[in-house]
Amino acid sequence: MKLWEIFRYDVTTQLRRYSTLIYGAGLVAATLLAASTFFDDVVRDGILLNAPMVTTACMIIVTVVGVLVTAALAGEAATRDIEARMEPLLYTTPLARATYLGGRFLSAFGVNALLLAIVPVTLAVWTFIPIGQAASFGPFRLWPYVRAYLVLALPNAFFATALLFSLVVLTRRAMIGYLGAAVLFFNSAVQEGIVASVLGKWELAKHLDLFGFIVGVAQWRSRTPIQRNTLPLEFEGALLTNRLLWLSISIAALLFVYLRFHMAHHAPTAGRQWWRRAGKAPVEAESRPWTVTLTPSRVRGTFDRTTRMRQAFAIALGSFREMITSRAALIIPATAWLVYDVVPDLLEFGLGTPGRPNTGRLVLLYGKFNVSGITVGALVAFFAGQLIWRERDAREHDIRDATPLPDAVSLLGKFGALVLLLVTMQAALIATGIVTQLGSGYYDFEPMLWLRVLLGMKMVDYLLFAALAIGVQVVVNQKYVATTIVMLAWVLPQFAGGLGLEHNLLIYGADPGVTYSEISGFGASLGPWLWFKLYWAGWALLFALLARLFWVRGHDARTFALARQRFTRMPAAIAAAALALIVLAGGFVFYNTNVLNEYLTEAESTSRSAEYERHYGRYADLAQPLVTATKLHVELHPARLSADIRGTYQLENRSGRAIDTIHLVTRRTVPATGVTFDRPSRTTLVDRDLGYSIYTLGTPLAPGQSLRMDFEVRLASRGFTNAGISAAIAENGTLLEHRPGSGGRTWLPEVGYRRGVELDNPGERRLYGLPRRPALPSLQDAAARNEGRGLERIDLDTVIGTDADQIAIAPGALRRSWSERGRRYFHYVTDTPIRNGFPILSARYAVYRSRWKTVDIEVVYHPKHAWNVERIARAARASLDDYSRHFGPYPQRQLRLVEFPITGGNRLTGHPGTVIWSEVLAYADPAADPRQIDFPFAVIAHEVAHQWWGNQVVPARVEGAPLVSESLAWYSAMNVVQENLGREHLRRVMQVMRDAYLAPHQTPELPLLRATDWLAAYRTGALAMLSLREAVGTDRINAALRNFVVEYRSGQPPFPTSLDLYRHLRAVTPPDTQPLLNDLFAEITFWDLRMKSAKVVPTGAAYRVTLHIAAYKLKVGTAGRETRVPMNDRIELTLLAAPKAGESRGPVLYRQTHRLHSGPQTLTVTVPRLPASAAIDADSKLLDRNREDNLKEIAQR
Amino acid sequence: MPCVLADVPNLRIQNLTKTYPNGVRALRNVSLTIEQGMFGLLGPNGAGKSTLMRILATLQDPDEGQIHLGDLDVVRQKDEVRKTLGYLPQDFGFYRDATAERLLEHFAILEGITNRATRRGVVEALLRQTNLWEVRKQKLGGYSGGMRQRFGIAVALLGDPTLLIVDEPTAGLDPAERVRFLNLLSELGENSIVILSTHIVEDVSELCTRMAIINKGEILLEAEPLRAVDELRGRIWQRIVAKEELPAIEREHALISTRLLGGRRVVRVDSDTKPASGFEAAEPNLEDVYFCVMSGRVAVAA
Repeated sequence: MKLWEIFRYDVTTQLRRYSTLIYGAGLVAATLLAASTFFDDVVRDGILLNAPMVTTACMIIVTVVGVLVTAALAGEAATRDIEARMEPLLYTTPLARATYLGGRFLSAFGVNALLLAIVPVTLAVWTFIPIGQAASFGPFRLWPYVRAYLVLALPNAFFATALLFSLVVLTRRAMIGYLGAAVLFFNSAVQEGIVASVLGKWELAKHLDLFGFIVGVAQWRSRTPIQRNTLPLEFEGALLTNRLLWLSISIAALLFVYLRFHMAHHAPTAGRQWWRRAGKAPVEAESRPWTVTLTPSRVRGTFDRTTRMRQAFAIALGSFREMITSRAALIIPATAWLVYDVVPDLLEFGLGTPGRPNTGRLVLLYGKFNVSGITVGALVAFFAGQLIWRERDAREHDIRDATPLPDAVSLLGKFGALVLLLVTMQAALIATGIVTQLGSGYYDFEPMLWLRVLLGMKMVDYLLFAALAIGVQVVVNQKYVATTIVMLAWVLPQFAGGLGLEHNLLIYGADPGVTYSEISGFGASLGPWLWFKLYWAGWALLFALLARLFWVRGHDARTFALARQRFTRMPAAIAAAALALIVLAGGFVFYNTNVLNEYLTEAESTSRSAEYERHYGRYADLAQPLVTATKLHVELHPARLSADIRGTYQLENRSGRAIDTIHLVTRRTVPATGVTFDRPSRTTLVDRDLGYSIYTLGTPLAPGQSLRMDFEVRLASRGFTNAGISAAIAENGTLLEHRPGSGGRTWLPEVGYRRGVELDNPGERRLYGLPRRPALPSLQDAAARNEGRGLERIDLDTVIGTDADQIAIAPGALRRSWSERGRRYFHYVTDTPIRNGFPILSARYAVYRSRWKTVDIEVVYHPKHAWNVERIARAARASLDDYSRHFGPYPQRQLRLVEFPITGGNRLTGHPGTVIWSEVLAYADPAADPRQIDFPFAVIAHEVAHQWWGNQVVPARVEGAPLVSESLAWYSAMNVVQENLGREHLRRVMQVMRDAYLAPHQTPELPLLRATDWLAAYRTGALAMLSLREAVGTDRINAALRNFVVEYRSGQPPFPTSLDLYRHLRAVTPPDTQPLLNDLFAEITFWDLRMKSAKVVPTGAAYRVTLHIAAYKLKVGTAGRETRVPMNDRIELTLLAAPKAGESRGPVLYRQTHRLHSGPQTLTVTVPRLPASAAIDADSKLLDRNREDNLKEIAQR
Repeated sequence: MPCVLADVPNLRIQNLTKTYPNGVRALRNVSLTIEQGMFGLLGPNGAGKSTLMRILATLQDPDEGQIHLGDLDVVRQKDEVRKTLGYLPQDFGFYRDATAERLLEHFAILEGITNRATRRGVVEALLRQTNLWEVRKQKLGGYSGGMRQRFGIAVALLGDPTLLIVDEPTAGLDPAERVRFLNLLSELGENSIVILSTHIVEDVSELCTRMAIINKGEILLEAEPLRAVDELRGRIWQRIVAKEELPAIEREHALISTRLLGGRRVVRVDSDTKPASGFEAAEPNLEDVYFCVMSGRVAVAA
């Protein structure tokens, strides 16, 4: 009854508060924001906004953000009596401890639960008043809302309330609740962003995250759009155990609080600092005689500028000391530890290959990294509240306010304290980073870089936020409400895009980003960054000024009149400076982003693509000549970040019809100028906005005839854009890639209308009213198979002029290199025609030369990055050797492997004769890999394989194309790994490559022959090739591939598709393996293989092993329906002996394939030694969704 | 009169009025002139004492009226006033984790005493004088009420204030501490204006050279305590009564106070002549003045 009374009283008072109203409004906004993150899916995948999964996802997201509200409610409930200093009254009533705590807890939880009901209500109301996204709601059904609320919102509210309430009751400080909330929030982010996505430990992350957020993400990712629209969030497996785990943790926390809490006076402990357990008990000096007479010292203060400065310092240092010795400051070492723990994983090159911790990379990780970012947000929000409320919380404010301390000095001192705290945080991170470097024996610390980024650039961001935090605390003048607002202000910019705020002038503190590479340094990215920051510094000054004008001193309510009165000379000067910064820096930025450059929102640029198709799509099938030779003269000016290019195309009419107009597609910002032909012509159309121009030839180009076209292109940034300055041309480390038809537009004009620039996504096409078409043409599309634009072969002749100390690279043989007018020139000519796609690079490179037969191998690298150069050359040699033996000759006489700055992306690309690799590969340190995998070797082998798959055999741009390029490249690389590093090494590599399946992924909807997704291209396809190789034999497969190359290496249409590959594979596959070929490529097949039990009996000198196996085969049909099909496949059976000490895997005792049929079956095998484990398909050559149950330890009978 | 050691300006309060947003009229047309020495502000809870004190301490602005400390306009020249101001509020605390020495040093800096050696000297002197030197390394969170009060006065004394405002400082002190505290205050009165607000009559009668009684925001009496007591001489009568007699006495006489003395009820009445029924003449005290003023029986006298 008493419990009910407390509950009823608390809930009704809380509901009457205006803060509750604010929280409610905040939750409505959060709900709409959460839903807005799905707008993209609505457009692209036709997701319904009231699909059960969307409802659930919104619920989860809102509870994650709403944990701030939980903190406020739980903190309030737990400290209300203490703050009102009412606890002596309450504690002396005959109220049971359980009733008191229970009532307070339940009321906080109750209000929270009520508030969270806003989420489903908002979402439900939205379906009836569908503003904005009218088409995207399905019929209304009540149950999904109720279910999502019961399964996610309510438990989440319970867990969060229980934990935060416990925390606050134990510490007696409501603000600690906010810190706890930040930790929970941050935990979810870390689990999602790092533990799951980067480390791949999804199961762990699903459980460690309190909100079920990771479970949601995983289920979302593993579903196809149709499933997302129809199926609810599965309440089983990880979600169930997650709920149970956190339920028990919550209850344990509440029990602990119940046991620890006493309704008694809280005796002050002498030592509160976390690093000191207890101080001396105070000595009562009262009883001593008090005889000293008062002779006031006649010392008076001096009040000048120096005094004010010293006062500010004293306040800053004093407050800093208080903050850093408080328990909350533990967040700093905790963050440092977390960063220390996680960063090595983020440094990885790929597939977990350790990376060298070079400062540039660490610094960027530390700078961007969410861990420190979120922590800083929490830290600043929390301590800004503590600082501004410090005196009032201690009831010291009246005494303070009567001292002759100017408000501005107080403000400055407190801001200074925050600065000191942030400096400490950053110093801790720097120390952590240096320890990380020391730990891996890396001694090139580059302290100035550490300081510049962590104490310079990052600090600027944090200071901007600190100014905002202090401004909000002062102006709002409600500690907890303000803290909530400040924390939201830290989180909300992430949703800015969803709200249509894309311009960095509209998102507080935003900038175009800073890029860094060891090769290029910061490049041109600092300038734009600085201008944006100057602009935001103006706003920060305004926040500081607001804090100054509305600073609370004394007891009177603050009024605008008072603020006006305080607006004296100094504040006015600051206001003028702030406005000047905003107007001048903002104006300059705007001039750059919107006047010098055209500013397009994302929607606007999408709509441009639609416009392009609407206007010029009618020319899609117009006959156009193909490029047969390209001649370029590139004058690169690295220091000026510009390039002047004179180009000549040789165009040939292969269409069989006379061509009278030439159509050019260019990038909007890089128009082709001075376009002339070797015959009279006139310009018919130049559409700069859509990058399309048409030239009419005086005399049409007859079939078989050639035409010369000259043009000029100037690459230079005019000022900077909202995204900064392109890093493509850098003072050191220029990378210009011409990739015609690859989707985006390239910097050289392309001849003929490009389908690749059209919008591909069916949803987006619908949105912009474009006709329906598949994202990629189907395998049967004969026209697409003959489409040669962008796939043509060209002779490339390039002259590049660059700075005297740089080496410029283009494909082909280096004919000549000379110096002229203080510049250096390089002339490259290709030996044989190459696919029309190539890079041009220039930097102060070093070159490592090697040779394979007649091919010159050059590894071109940044002189500091010599670590893997020899390995790269070795992999290239081994690959050339292997592929030319098996698939046919390598067509060029040189193979260059050129490093480029990370600003160009963390990737490798195999252009004809020129493999480019990002500097991240240089940092890879496979020798330090405990798994003994040389992944860089494999990756180089993969890129060299593209010299055959992709550059010689160029797949038609239709479905299934990645099978021909990527899957075959991986398959080839695996052969090289096996030949050069051994079969066991390949097994280890494959083991790691299969980890991709552990991340949530959609069930394939298309068989390999038609698939285009990453997993199919880079994993499933390669694995299927490997399985087939095991069944058919390496030689036969290689013969098939050789025939495939021979058929298509001319590079003339029709271009090959996956069906042509399949044809060649089928030709070499024996009849009894044909079903497997079909299973692997033509259908979507899963195997479910289980080793149920394995028992061993000694028989004389040998051992007889009895294996109980269950085997099933499943096919995925249309609409994702799975059905079991009869199985009759050869599956490998392996018996292993116990591993020797220090090894993870014992020697193989038995490896044979057995024909297995559907269902349970028993096999008996005799081996000479005692086996320790038995495995079915141990190397997972077949797709089996549960690999765990394939292996069984052998029980001794 | 004690000899004037310093040229202490006087504090002139003219027509001060303050109304709170909730309609409470905390001060109505208050005018006072306060000279160097101890000035007692006496009044019941809620009389407006603290409001007046806060206004004098620059923490609130009056709606109307002026205050001058010498040449300084207290309302407009707050920063200047604060340089010569010491304030001990009625309700205050200190950051619990700070030690007395460190916090006092900190306040010394805020008071503009930036020279390190000087500051050290001032801090030590004040801690010794308030008898906190021995416990200077302890955290304020562990201080008793009296220690905290003394620490408060030490803070208030920083910077040699000419105007010291102490708001109900003796509440919560034990008798011995109260005496010592008042002694300390009286010594301060020798050099500056000390305004002491209290609802304990003894505080004023023992210390103050001048006093004012305030109720419902109005000054009812401004006087020298001794003179005010003198004026009642011959008018105060007391007797021991039984509980049942009280209503009758209240009806028939101008009752000043009723109190228990050793378990017996003693009533004091105000009368020009000796009332009948067993009353005997009593020596007037400040409490009589207070009650008379509060009950409106004595007109404002200066």
